[in-house]
Amino acid sequence: MILVLFAIAVAIPLVLWSIGKIPLSYNLRNLTLRWKTTVMTALAFTAVIALLTVMMAFVNGMKKMTEGTGQPGNVLILADGATDETFSNLNVGDLTEIENLPEVARQNGRPMASRETLLVVNQLTPDPAGGYKRRFLQLRGIEDPRLSARVHGLRLLSGGTWFSEAGVQEASAPESKSDEAAPLIQAVLGEGVAHELGRARSEEELAVAKNRDRLDVGDTFLLGERRWVVVGVIDSAGSTFNSEIWAKRSLAAAMFGKDTYTTLVLQTEGAATAKQFKKFLAEDYKKAAVNAQVETEYYKSLSETTAQFSYAIGFIAVVMSIGGIFGVMNTMFAAISQRMGDIGVLRLLGYARWQILVSFLLESMVIALVGGLLGCILGSLSNGWTANSIVGGQGGGKLVVLQLAVNADIIATGLFLTLLMGLLGGLLPALSAMRLKPLDALR
Amino acid sequence: MKYLKLIFRNVGRNRLRSLLTVLVTVVLVFVVTLVWSVLWLLDQVTTEKSQNFSAMVTERWAIPSRLPFSYADPLSRGAAHKPGDIQPLDSMTWQFYGGTLDAKNFTRENIIFGIACEPEKLATMMDGLNDLPAEQESQLHEDIAQLKANRQGIILGHNHLDATNKRIGERLKLTGIGNFKGLDLEFEIVGTFPAGRYDTLAAFNRDYYNNELDAYAARNNGRKHPLAERSLNLMVLKVPDRAAFTRLASQIESSPEFSNPAVKCETMASGISSMLESFRDLIWGMRWLLAPACLVTILLVIANAISISVRERRLELAVLKVLGFRPYQLLILVLGESLLLGSVAGLISAGLTYGIINWGLGGISFPIGFFDRFMIPTAALWWGPAIGGLASLLGSFLPAWSARGVKAANVFSKVA
Repeated sequence: MILVLFAIAVAIPLVLWSIGKIPLSYNLRNLTLRWKTTVMTALAFTAVIALLTVMMAFVNGMKKMTEGTGQPGNVLILADGATDETFSNLNVGDLTEIENLPEVARQNGRPMASRETLLVVNQLTPDPAGGYKRRFLQLRGIEDPRLSARVHGLRLLSGGTWFSEAGVQEASAPESKSDEAAPLIQAVLGEGVAHELGRARSEEELAVAKNRDRLDVGDTFLLGERRWVVVGVIDSAGSTFNSEIWAKRSLAAAMFGKDTYTTLVLQTEGAATAKQFKKFLAEDYKKAAVNAQVETEYYKSLSETTAQFSYAIGFIAVVMSIGGIFGVMNTMFAAISQRMGDIGVLRLLGYARWQILVSFLLESMVIALVGGLLGCILGSLSNGWTANSIVGGQGGGKLVVLQLAVNADIIATGLFLTLLMGLLGGLLPALSAMRLKPLDALR
Repeated sequence: MKYLKLIFRNVGRNRLRSLLTVLVTVVLVFVVTLVWSVLWLLDQVTTEKSQNFSAMVTERWAIPSRLPFSYADPLSRGAAHKPGDIQPLDSMTWQFYGGTLDAKNFTRENIIFGIACEPEKLATMMDGLNDLPAEQESQLHEDIAQLKANRQGIILGHNHLDATNKRIGERLKLTGIGNFKGLDLEFEIVGTFPAGRYDTLAAFNRDYYNNELDAYAARNNGRKHPLAERSLNLMVLKVPDRAAFTRLASQIESSPEFSNPAVKCETMASGISSMLESFRDLIWGMRWLLAPACLVTILLVIANAISISVRERRLELAVLKVLGFRPYQLLILVLGESLLLGSVAGLISAGLTYGIINWGLGGISFPIGFFDRFMIPTAALWWGPAIGGLASLLGSFLPAWSARGVKAANVFSKVA
């Protein structure tokens, strides 16, 4: 759809240019002659389009993240009535029954099932203004990290390992502080949260850090009343796991007071089986009432927030575009009033009214295109920026570290909008120029 | 005075250009006002008050906070044990509940999220409900009286009332969802929060909720509801000032009564600020990208319009100089025209935004954290003219400087 609109927007100036008899060089010369006006008008377009590009990249990053998470062959089980992992409480007895259903894939006779408890926890971080601030972190307690990683299709970045059976290790250099004397809790971090936690380090910590960009294997951090050690970083860019800390469930859940499982993720033979299995659990399975969803569909459903942001951006885009239209209209009316004589001469030379219209329309679109292109380029610099946000709705949601993503659709939308603004903004002044009588114009 | 008249006359001379400049400014000031209104409210709720502190006690580490209800009584006394310990001026318990009107197909529209609390505390402990105009205050007190009299009464926020298509006096049955599964509650709607305040919240009597938690065990062979042991989500305490808060927080956080789970006591502003931390980058983008981009655009458009105007009026400016106008007077003349256009456009924009958003639409719908709808503050009525005026002054400075430097001899020699 976007590409069709873009094609239309590009086609209009091309058609105008091909049918126009007045050379485009005439308009370009006028634009360069009044370069200050041209630059200022174009810069207004640049500001509007650059901003829209950044905002669309944010929404696109969010969309990519929710659509890129999960396996189509997995079925995710939450408690009946729970729309979000945070508010789910699964009965252990039910989990054992479901895991052993024939649709669940097996490896070495073991069901490919990941039992998980997702917790949202507070972390105290130093406040630059003094004292401490809090931030929320997502902690996923799991039983067997290797099995869970296979179910989720995740792997570690080189140099890392999954946490041990015990989930703890001795502190290598015990300090006098009580938190450091206790064994360290082993944690595996998503890349995004490793980056976030890495940002909170002091200058002294950064000076000795082996990775200044993010926490890496061997680094430690405080969470709750214990010190945690990073044993691995998940290759998770582009998924919501990017923002999660994984640790031994028995330790994490007990520490933060959640004694039930929130989620069960089951691997099946493939997407078709997963769909059938989900249907079976929703309609025919009578032993327990659960909320079963294909994993990819669950994460897609989190994009509700994306829709809200899209509406907001759409609204701002329309309003700012109206501003842009009035802005270019102002410039074009001024251009026409300054070039009355030119218009009169062109008419006397035999150029038709519609050719005058085409000429001024093209001029307005050139200003818009130059400004808009620059805006797209500036906005594209945001590609790859990371941003914190929450995805999901209905009272829950996931904290995510997402990457802004500029793609061809966004650039096409930006250029479409800029050309549309140029066209609409130039239309009224061009019509007024077209209606001028040659002699009146010369007078 | 004559000078002012001249400014007005000049602005009216090219009505089309003035109109277009005003329209661009109106549109862009509108966007800035919307953005600043959202940021203004967020700043307000995250700014510490100097008096009438609201403190919030929640679980120290986990979210959502879940505390035993047995914490409510000692917390309402601020864990005061020794003579000289400070006690809060007032307190309120919050027990969250979420249910749906349609258990088979629950959507954003049919889910109601509410708090079980002491009804009388709604009027004294809820920010925004303790400073209502007389008429709304009297209505709220009537609704609260009904909530106390009818244990199954519920006060709904406007959004809930609209989304569920229910009216005051009607009954509704909610099926518990998520953590609240198994807790199905029946209510009679006894009132609504004033429009624009707590639009997405509901409040009901905590006695009914706690009875239902007990009844759950009776219905399930003595098996307690998973929330039964930890049904208190947060406790709000009122303290007179910062010093009292600091002492109270220390009393509560060090009290052995609240060790499992541990609690934290923070100011309401600090708590909300932490919750908004998840939207840190979005708020940063609104504050430092969106609003400045609009301001820059206004500046460019005004600068462009004024610079065209100065270029077209070089002859007139030269005549004014010959008539004895000093360069600084020409500068002020051009700046005055621009200031007039910008501030009038800003005022129109702010007035329209205030009227349309607050009275016409009932606020801006922009769900962020637990905020759903934002009203345009009265302060926006001065932001508009200030933004328009300042942007036009800045934008027109260079063109005005160029007008100041017009040389009569040069201009007339060209005409000749």
